[in-house]
Amino acid sequence: MPRICAAEVSAINAAERSAWSGSALSVLALALAGGCFALRPSRGGGETEAPGTETAERLLDTRDVKVPEGYRVEIVAAGLTFPTGITFDDDGTPFVVESGYAYGEAFDAPRLLRIGATAIDVVATGDRHGWMGVDHEGGAFFVAEAGITKPGRILRFDVDGTMTVLVDGLPALGDHHVNGPAVKDGWVYFGVGAATNSGIVGTDNADFGWLARAPRFHDIPCSDVTLRGFNAQSDDPLTEMKGDVAMTGAYLPFGVKSEWGQVIRGQVPCTGAVMRVPVAGGSPESTKIEVVAWGFRNPFGLAFASDGRLFVTDNGYDERGSRPVFGAADWLWEVKSGAWYGWPDYADGRRVSDPRYAHEGKSAPARLLGDMPEPPVPTALFAVHSSSNGIAFSSSARFGHPGQAFVAQFGDQAPVVGKVWAPVGFKVVRVDVQSGVVHDFFVNDANANGPASARGSNGLERPIAVAFDPSGTSLYVVDFGVMAMDEDGAHPRPRTGAVWRIVRADPELAARSAAK
Amino acid sequence: MRYTLSPFPSSSRSQHRARARSVAFAMGFALTMFALVVVAAGGCTSARRGEPFAPPVVLDNAQQVRGEHAFARHCAQCHPGGAAGLGPAINDRPLPKTAIKAQVRAGVGEMPKFDEQMLSDDDVDAIAEYLLALRKSPAG
Repeated sequence: MPRICAAEVSAINAAERSAWSGSALSVLALALAGGCFALRPSRGGGETEAPGTETAERLLDTRDVKVPEGYRVEIVAAGLTFPTGITFDDDGTPFVVESGYAYGEAFDAPRLLRIGATAIDVVATGDRHGWMGVDHEGGAFFVAEAGITKPGRILRFDVDGTMTVLVDGLPALGDHHVNGPAVKDGWVYFGVGAATNSGIVGTDNADFGWLARAPRFHDIPCSDVTLRGFNAQSDDPLTEMKGDVAMTGAYLPFGVKSEWGQVIRGQVPCTGAVMRVPVAGGSPESTKIEVVAWGFRNPFGLAFASDGRLFVTDNGYDERGSRPVFGAADWLWEVKSGAWYGWPDYADGRRVSDPRYAHEGKSAPARLLGDMPEPPVPTALFAVHSSSNGIAFSSSARFGHPGQAFVAQFGDQAPVVGKVWAPVGFKVVRVDVQSGVVHDFFVNDANANGPASARGSNGLERPIAVAFDPSGTSLYVVDFGVMAMDEDGAHPRPRTGAVWRIVRADPELAARSAAK
Repeated sequence: MRYTLSPFPSSSRSQHRARARSVAFAMGFALTMFALVVVAAGGCTSARRGEPFAPPVVLDNAQQVRGEHAFARHCAQCHPGGAAGLGPAINDRPLPKTAIKAQVRAGVGEMPKFDEQMLSDDDVDAIAEYLLALRKSPAG
C-alpha cells in the first residue's frame, strides 16, 4: 500500500471540506513542500559523509564569504582549537579563549590567547573543564569555566596569567554549562544552562556522556516550583540489564518519580539562569551570588546594549530525550530583573503543550509545573536549531546599525537535536531589537546555506561568538571550526577554529555618514 | 402568496448546491493545474534573498512592513528569511496570494495552522504581501 504523507492527507481532507481551499492546499503540498517532511532524511549542515575523519588543514578564503555591500572581511587567526570567546584589552588587542572542550566528549586544555599582529601568545592555560567565554574589564580578564566534569566557575586572570577564582560550585555537569560572562558596573554576569533538554533526565543525557559521570545530577530551580506529577518512562542506561526501564520526574535525578503537588525547593546557584557575582568574588555559601532572572534553557550570549539593557540569547528546545519538543525557536530576551522566562513549559511565548510542539502523530509535551507567572515575550525568535549564541551590539554609526544586535549562529546539530529540511544557522545575523526582524549579515557565498565543509568552500564553519573592538568599528567573529554530526553525536575537529574581522570597506565614507 | 428569496424551487436546492460544488471543484482543479504549470514552467530560483546577496528587500507600504514583523514573529523560525530551515524555502515559489493565505490558515503536514486568535486576517494578508515582496527582490 503506498504511503501517503501528512501533507497529502491534509490536502485531501481540505479538498473534501472545500474545493477552493483544497486546490490551494494541493498546490502548496506539491509546490511549496516539494516533498514531505516525514519522508525526507535530515539534511543538517554537519551531516557530512565522513564526519570527523578529516585531518587536513582547514583553509580560509575571504572570497568564499559574503557581507552586505560596503563591508569587507579579513582573516585574523586560524588553526585554533575550539575557540569560544573573544574580548579586547584597552589597547584594542584581541584575546581569545579556546574552550578545550567540544560536544563529542573531546577534551583538551583550555587557553587564553593574545592575538598579536604577528604571533599568538598563551596568557593562561586551564584544566580540562572548558572555557566558554571571556570579557575584559579594569585590566583583568573574566572567564566562564564550563564545568562539565566538575562544577563550573567564574575565573579572573591578570595580564600575567595569575588566576583568581571568583565563584565555584556552579551546577553545570549536564547538557549545558556556564556561559558568558559580561562585566558591567562592578558585577560579572553569567549564564548557567539547564541540565536537560526540557526538564527530565533521560537516555539522551547518557548519550551525551554525562549521566554516567553524574547519575544524580538534575535541574535546579532558582525559586520553589510545584510539580504536576508527570513522569517519563525510558530505558535505564544505568543498569546492565537490557529492557530495564526507569520513571523520572522533572527537577529530579534519573529514575526518581515525582508526585502531584510535590514542591522542589529553589536554590542558588541554579540551572537555566542568569546570575551575577561581584568582580571581587563570592561563593555558593555566601550571599554574593544573585539571580538576575531564570527560566531560561541555555542562556549562552550576554550583552549590554548602549542604553544599559541586558540581552541574552537562549538556545531553544531539541527534539530529543524523554520529553522532546518539536519546532521551538532560539530566542533573544531582554532580561528583566527577577523574571521567569518560561522553561520548561513555554516556547516562543506559548505553552509547549500546544500541539504544534509535537511531531505529527505524537503527543504534545506534558506540562511539568503548577501555576507560574506568564513569561515575557521574546525580543526576537531565531531559526529552530540555529544555536544562536554569541551577541554584540553595534554602538557606532561608523560601523553601521547602531543599537542593533549581531548574533553568531553556531548552526544546527542535526540529527541529534532533531531533523531539519536544510542546514540552519552557520552565519552571523543582525537583529533589530525593536521589531524583532532578523537579517543575514555574514554568510557563506553559496547558492544554499550551510557550513563551508558542507559546501566545499573555504568560508565560515560555525560562528560562536562576536564582539566589537573598543572603537566599535570592527566586528570580530569567532569561528569554532568544523564539527560534523551523525546519529552517534558530534565529531569536532581540532585546529580548525578561526577569527574573522568585518570592517567598513571605505572607512572615510563611513566616517562621513556617521557625521551626518 | 408566498415568495422565496431563492431563484430555485426548494425541491431543486440540493441539486443546485451539488452543481455549484461541481463548478467550484472544477474551477479549483483548473486553478491547481494552472498553478502547477506555472510552477513547472517557472521553476524555483535561489532562496537567498536580501542582504548580503542583494540590496535590502524593498518594502513599499505599511502593510508589507507589518507583514515583515508578523513573519519574523510567526514564520521565520522555520523559514528564516523565507529560505529553508526546519521547513522548506517559501520565498522562491511562484504561489498566488490566495494559496499563501490558505496555507497559513490550514497548515499542512508538520506546519501548524494559524487561527484567528494567533493571526488576524489583516496579519495573514500582510504576511502574504511581504512574501510577495520578498519573492520579487533579487536572488543571490
